[in-house]
Amino acid sequence: MKIGLEVHVALPTKSKLFCSCSMADTDEPNSQICPICLGFPGAKPMLNEAAVSSALGIAAALHCNINKEISFVRKVYFYPDLPKCYQITQMEGAIGSRGYLEIEGKEVRIRRVQIEEDPAQIVREGMLTLLDFNRSGTPLVEIVTEPDITTEEELRAFIANLRSILYYLGVDINKEIKADLNISLAEVRVEVKNVTGIKSLIEATRFEIERQAEAIKNGEEIARETRGYNEKNKLTESLREKETDEEYGYIYDPDLTTFEINGIEHAKAVYITEVSQRLTEGTDVDPKTIKEMTMLDRRALGLINKFNGKYKLRSVVHGMQRFQKYAGNLNAADHKIEKSIALAEKGVAITKEMIQDIAEGKEVKVKYEKVGNAELDDMIKKFLDKNPKVLEEYRRNKKTANLVIGIIAKESNLHPKDVARRVNQVLSAY
Amino acid sequence: MRSFVNEFLKLEKPKGYYEELVSEISMLNKEYHAFTNINSKMIDCAEGSIPFSSKANICVKGFETTAGSKMLKGYIPPFDATAVERMLGSGSFSFLGETNMDEFGFGTFGLNTETPARNAFGREYVAGGSSSGAAVATALLKYHVALSESTGGSISTPAALNGVVGFTPTYGTISRYGLIDYANSLDKIGVMARSSGDARIAFDIVRGKDRYDTTCSVEKINGNKKTKLFVVKELMEKTEKRVKASFSSLLDKLSSDYEIREISSEILSKSIAPYYIIAMAEASTNLAKYDGYKYGLQYEGYNKRYNDFFTEARSSFGDEAKRRIILGTFIRSESVKAKYYTKALRIRALIIKEMSRILHEGFIISPTIPIPTPKISEAASLTPLENYAIDIFTIPPNIGGFPHITFPYGYMDGMPLGAQVITEQANDYAVLDFVSDWEEEFEYRYKHDVGSL
Amino acid sequence: MEDHEFERLLKVARLKLTDVEKERIKADIEEVIGYFDSLDQVESGEEPAYHPIRVPARLRKDEVVEFTDIDALKRQAKLHDGYILGPKL
Repeated sequence: MKIGLEVHVALPTKSKLFCSCSMADTDEPNSQICPICLGFPGAKPMLNEAAVSSALGIAAALHCNINKEISFVRKVYFYPDLPKCYQITQMEGAIGSRGYLEIEGKEVRIRRVQIEEDPAQIVREGMLTLLDFNRSGTPLVEIVTEPDITTEEELRAFIANLRSILYYLGVDINKEIKADLNISLAEVRVEVKNVTGIKSLIEATRFEIERQAEAIKNGEEIARETRGYNEKNKLTESLREKETDEEYGYIYDPDLTTFEINGIEHAKAVYITEVSQRLTEGTDVDPKTIKEMTMLDRRALGLINKFNGKYKLRSVVHGMQRFQKYAGNLNAADHKIEKSIALAEKGVAITKEMIQDIAEGKEVKVKYEKVGNAELDDMIKKFLDKNPKVLEEYRRNKKTANLVIGIIAKESNLHPKDVARRVNQVLSAY
Repeated sequence: MRSFVNEFLKLEKPKGYYEELVSEISMLNKEYHAFTNINSKMIDCAEGSIPFSSKANICVKGFETTAGSKMLKGYIPPFDATAVERMLGSGSFSFLGETNMDEFGFGTFGLNTETPARNAFGREYVAGGSSSGAAVATALLKYHVALSESTGGSISTPAALNGVVGFTPTYGTISRYGLIDYANSLDKIGVMARSSGDARIAFDIVRGKDRYDTTCSVEKINGNKKTKLFVVKELMEKTEKRVKASFSSLLDKLSSDYEIREISSEILSKSIAPYYIIAMAEASTNLAKYDGYKYGLQYEGYNKRYNDFFTEARSSFGDEAKRRIILGTFIRSESVKAKYYTKALRIRALIIKEMSRILHEGFIISPTIPIPTPKISEAASLTPLENYAIDIFTIPPNIGGFPHITFPYGYMDGMPLGAQVITEQANDYAVLDFVSDWEEEFEYRYKHDVGSL
Repeated sequence: MEDHEFERLLKVARLKLTDVEKERIKADIEEVIGYFDSLDQVESGEEPAYHPIRVPARLRKDEVVEFTDIDALKRQAKLHDGYILGPKL
């Protein structure tokens, strides 16, 4: 099985790709438009520097060869959402080519990373085609892979890693991800166009794999075709009309020029898989834990980097996880998070109350920060004096020790392991 | 330097001058169809404003701009072209109206539109194209400059046929923002006027970088005078006998000031095919957007699916537009693109190289068109290919983006004769100066002088 | 040019012609293409010249400037609840 993807990602700019219209969210249709993004006669495109910079960051992050000079082409096709009836996109002069993205143990080759403009949004109301040009001219990058993905798991890993890389470049693709898939179980390549959202992408792939497998099993021929994904019914369906004669007739866009890329600054990539490996080397922390915590969380990575070394990585991770769990997030001042990490380092069993106290800036009450054997023995003895029946119970069933450990640990804010250190000895000697 | 604009500024204007001007030109327009649309508000313009017109493919805010096409009937641009904005912003000029043209600039004679303009020297003759109306308006109005546009000769040809000065600057000197595209890598806004001095005044107002046009990038303009005039043998071979004879007499007159030399350049005579290939490839993409619902023509067939809707709406293109769309679409086909489109771009590079070399040494001079002004009936019977061949002298400077100017040098059977001078890129002032010198010795003649004082 | 190729071009370009127009325009086009074929005799080792001049790269700063007359844009088309009405899908 071979799966290839064309992923479209909206770039995080303030204005559109070729005009100065706002990219801000708005509910009012056609409120952020101008002659350029409507393709009015006489209007001309002017390329947005921030879009180029952002696309450059993505191409570099995907290990692409960066074209020293980029240029644009006109892709001509007729559809109501396309204001000029040609889309300004890239071909040979694309910003990046021949890169790769690493997923567990393999490289998925990237054929091309190119900048292009988004068409308008179509809203269907009964038989009516309603057009909102606010989206028209949104800067996109299209990331085209080679058909190197061979399982659903790889597809998931690809999307997760891509999402993480893009996240660290300031692009969130959770909802906005739009992709065309090509899936071939046998010789024939089937395209699934315009799948929106990560969930749909996985579902569409799963459906299409099953559909093709079923067809092969039944000895049916798979048609080389373009299909669409029906989100509601979770299935792909043949698109009614396939314009087999359609030809885009690309030419160089003579309204623009060839742009030198030298001197355009761009953000540096962060590869979480590598970062997690590096951080956990020689520690008892599973790199997967770090990866999960930081893939889509810049703050988490920042905190780990800041406190790793001053504390053991395990304590850092544990303290942050507790804080995240009880406070709901890590959006607190660094010194507050550090308190949680410090508690973990001391072996304290961190409770919800403690995190609340830290969050509210109160003193955290920890009865025993570090207990010596004598002190611990005293505590156990005191407990036995108060509950004499426990000893009898223990003599019948040694597992009663666990109960004792749990109660003492809870009452004293000690780590159960710490308590366990002495419980059996005290109980048997008592 | 002769300048009607400067003369106008000094003269006293009688009360009701602009009202009279608008009414007189409106009357004459019924015969000549120079304007597609006259600005009646011109009568309220500031005292002392000089009228300017713009070709109907240059957007004027709030003023119907159709580029001579039915597809744009009713299109009211919501913005001014940069050139128009600068003319209005200069404080000296007021907008008189939009001038007639071949649909989207597709034509040599001005006939490819619903109501073609008529030659100012004889209504049965062609006005030339595609800036037909701009040339006729300039020949009708004494104090006026015309913003026009050339892709492959659309300023030179009509200017020559109507006996006015037609100046086409270096590509990328005047912003194309607001110019309705024919072929973006060839389109140049330029100026027609009754003197080189007037053309220069308007040129200096409208030229210069613009944040709305990437390709508008030429800032510094020179005026390096050349002392040699080159006549290209291969181009002259395609010239009609009588035109050749008149042109020889011009060369005789110029020989006292210039060294005239015949040169040979095979490649210049091969420029028509690459020019039309590039122009049609680009045009066919520019014309894709006209599909009958966003602006201009409203097709209304909302019961039809989009492909049928578009196809029906696009029936309103004229024949020449349809031909160029089909040819352009063909040229862009994957299977032949390298053979035609890419090859044409390579030959353009060759032409630019060759012309730059020649023009460094001197000007190239030629008649503007190789035939005497044809009657409308004669021109209408030419095949498209015969039409394209008329552009033999105007295409080389246009495909290479070289500044050139056409000027009247004589009259034959009552019709004006035009010659064209080309210079190096960014040496635009040199050809304006050349014509300015010529004007010291030669008086242009006109049948009408609307607005004279 | 084969008839089916001509028909394909019409379809790609979203143009329709009457039979009479087809005959006339196809003949014109064949003549012009024949003329374009004369390029085969010209050699050029030059890089393609996409523009007659060298157009320097000029990029726009990422700043928002609102277009002042959005109503004048929308007025050109048919509207439905603020949306522009397009042809049926």
